[in-house]
Amino acid sequence: MRINGLRKRYGATVALDGLDLEIRPGEVLGVAGPNGAGKSTLVRIIAGEEDADAGELFLDGRIWSPALDWRAVAIVHQEPQLFPNLTVAENMVAGREGDGTGWPRPSDADLQIMDALGLGSVRDIRLGECSLAVQQRTEIARAVARDARIFLFDEPNSALTDAESDELFREMRKLAESGRVVLLISHRLGDLVRHCARVAVVRDGRVRAILSGEALTEDGLARQLVTESTGAGAPASLRAAEGPAEAPPMFFVRRWTSQGAFHDIDFSARAGEIVALMGVEGSGARELLRSFAGLERTTGDIALAGATNIDLRRLRAYVPATRALSLYSNFSVGENLLVRLGVPDIAGPLLALKKSRMAAIAQQSVRRFLVKTSTTTQPIRSLSGGNQQKVAIAQALNCKPDLLLLEEPTRGVDIHSKNEIYHLLRDYAAAGKVVIVFCTEVLEIFEVADCAHVVTEGRLSRRLTIADYQHIEHLATEIAGLEQSLKTAARALSPVRPRPAQRLAGPG
Amino acid sequence: MTSVDSRKSAPAKAAGASLSSTGQATFDLALRMGGLFLAIVLVALAMFILKPNSFNLDVGISVLRAMSSVAIMSLGLTLVVVVGEIDLSFGAMYGLGANSLAVMWILLGVPIYAALPLAVGAGALVGLFNGALVTWLRIPSFIVTLGSYNLLYGVSLWITKTSTFNPVYPPPGSEIPPAELDFFTALTSSFGSHPISLEVVWMLGLAVLVGFLLHRTLFGFRLMAIGGNPAAAQLARLPVTRYKILAFVICGMLAAIAGILDFSFIQTAQPNIGLSYTFPVFAAVIIGGASLSGGKGTVIGAMSGALLLAELQQGLALLTPGPHVQQLFLGFVTIGAVALDLALTKIRARRAA
Repeated sequence: MRINGLRKRYGATVALDGLDLEIRPGEVLGVAGPNGAGKSTLVRIIAGEEDADAGELFLDGRIWSPALDWRAVAIVHQEPQLFPNLTVAENMVAGREGDGTGWPRPSDADLQIMDALGLGSVRDIRLGECSLAVQQRTEIARAVARDARIFLFDEPNSALTDAESDELFREMRKLAESGRVVLLISHRLGDLVRHCARVAVVRDGRVRAILSGEALTEDGLARQLVTESTGAGAPASLRAAEGPAEAPPMFFVRRWTSQGAFHDIDFSARAGEIVALMGVEGSGARELLRSFAGLERTTGDIALAGATNIDLRRLRAYVPATRALSLYSNFSVGENLLVRLGVPDIAGPLLALKKSRMAAIAQQSVRRFLVKTSTTTQPIRSLSGGNQQKVAIAQALNCKPDLLLLEEPTRGVDIHSKNEIYHLLRDYAAAGKVVIVFCTEVLEIFEVADCAHVVTEGRLSRRLTIADYQHIEHLATEIAGLEQSLKTAARALSPVRPRPAQRLAGPG
Repeated sequence: MTSVDSRKSAPAKAAGASLSSTGQATFDLALRMGGLFLAIVLVALAMFILKPNSFNLDVGISVLRAMSSVAIMSLGLTLVVVVGEIDLSFGAMYGLGANSLAVMWILLGVPIYAALPLAVGAGALVGLFNGALVTWLRIPSFIVTLGSYNLLYGVSLWITKTSTFNPVYPPPGSEIPPAELDFFTALTSSFGSHPISLEVVWMLGLAVLVGFLLHRTLFGFRLMAIGGNPAAAQLARLPVTRYKILAFVICGMLAAIAGILDFSFIQTAQPNIGLSYTFPVFAAVIIGGASLSGGKGTVIGAMSGALLLAELQQGLALLTPGPHVQQLFLGFVTIGAVALDLALTKIRARRAA
């Protein structure tokens, strides 16, 4: 497949500026680039969701367009776009039911494809009840069944566990080996390096570099991605000097237990600290963070800055993992920044809004939290993903909480915004607050946290001080070791059964 | 809706920063309202050309009177729709407002000064009932209010024993003190050289009140937020439950007030009044630009929608082409307004994306 001089403008914004790309059969081509570089536009054009202003696509040497043959393209999304109310097998045949009058059934060929993808055992389960990984594999199976030639993996594993990701990437490579065109679009540099033969770095609507072989390293990619290096690679120097060890904790929990998620946890954090909680899906780490926000049913003692239980409601703020749970699409950027505030910040007597005060706070937050937007009144959807994430965090910071709780604060965010977000968190903690982050990546812990705990099967590890580790590899080894030993210890004692992850569950 | 700080931020930023979407948002609103006003003027003009004799101030005033009860209910429904819920019961509440007042005052002899707040209070109670079932038991509001619509109509039939009430001609055995009757009729008495009913003044006053509530207070701001993203509002610890219930309570009270005012003006109350208002009020709110998916809606829009509907109804009644034409127009205007809105949104999205 070849892409020649692809151009696309949206109003005044140039999304693609003559993009050229060649994808060889049998390889997985990675696509990396900061947010707003044109990756998603490229995906949308290949998928036929948008028309290019200029440029051509070639498939097998012939000119090709998704409008002519949409069946040739398959996109594997982060959130599969299928029919959750139908079973896996029904999803498989939906859209290719034939002209029979009966309830459609999968053909033998369909069954074979499903077996090959390990979907045989879940065939008759409603898709909505299946894990994300199964849903994605169903999406792949559908595409294979209609003999799609081009597979686009768009941030496919940002919500998968490590084991599930490995599985997915194995399938992805198999597709490539069978001669199909495979593109992997990802923010995770490690995945790109590991699973792609070549990685194209897209910046400002063009392919700026193609890395392959020896040159294809995380470092090399990171350098290509960040035009202006903002303190990347120097996390240790950023880290606040360790306070006196005997300083009393500002936040603590004792005998903190949530049925089926975690058990008897003692945890404390001092003012000025960023603490990371690390754990895979279902380990209890996510639930532990949410419980600090008061979103889980728990027993035990909790205290924050001297306040206990109900009193600490106003003292803490929580930022959910997905922006869909923190941003309001009917609101402007400014309104999104202010929405958590109340009397007396933005309203006075009779609850009357202080309009000029609101405008001033919005302006000030945009500047302070480095949100790239031309006005505070434009729709939130007009911002890039990274900037939307900054708004989501700023929304919580505007409440000036003593305890800031974040779930995967840089998920699906480009490396530049990532660094800016880390700076924001660091500055905030430095003002004498406690910041607790739930992370799934060691790199994130290494770059932002002062100390970390690993959570495995509902148990908390000892505290790791990040400054003790010179290299990220050392930290990664230590964390893996802790996970293992906790698992063994947990097995020896009465095991707390981890409950399945509940991504979009409402507050408890 | 207008953005928080449109006026403030525009001058603060560089003027060259493309077409700011401040301008865009207000432009959209202006377009929407402009379209509505244009339609209102065009309908008036059409009536004038078709029937020049009947185009006078008195007809205009009667249109305002005729729109008032639909408009008052559309104010309440706007709040409920903005917070992302639906109320189907206000039409029956309108009936129960009038009928419970009639029963308490005319049949049971409760002084009007006590019966009046009690009838409005019944509206609040019904709103509380709807809101509580929707928020605490998490029953979809469509179902709750479909049920309470029937419950309320049932209560109206029950307490009135299916009879009609008129305070001027009370049933044998009941007596209405003249002072109370005067007070009651004075609620909607007409004044001025071109007689205009006080009901219009009530409508405008309530519109200003609800407009302030929705567009100028924290309550309204949070209603918009909750309607826009209820899950986020819950996680951000906005008072979702309380505000949803309050929206239903206000909607119920406004429906009771509309019923009582019409009772005062028309002087009769029947068990089945108000039921036929359900869909015109929805039409007014939707023509006014509110979105049934929540987070969007304005008071000025709902009022304009009610005005356009009343104008069409009165105009068509004067032209007397038959009752079917009014219904056909109601259908066309409702679908047309939303279709136009979607088309405009699409064009703008294509240009801006």
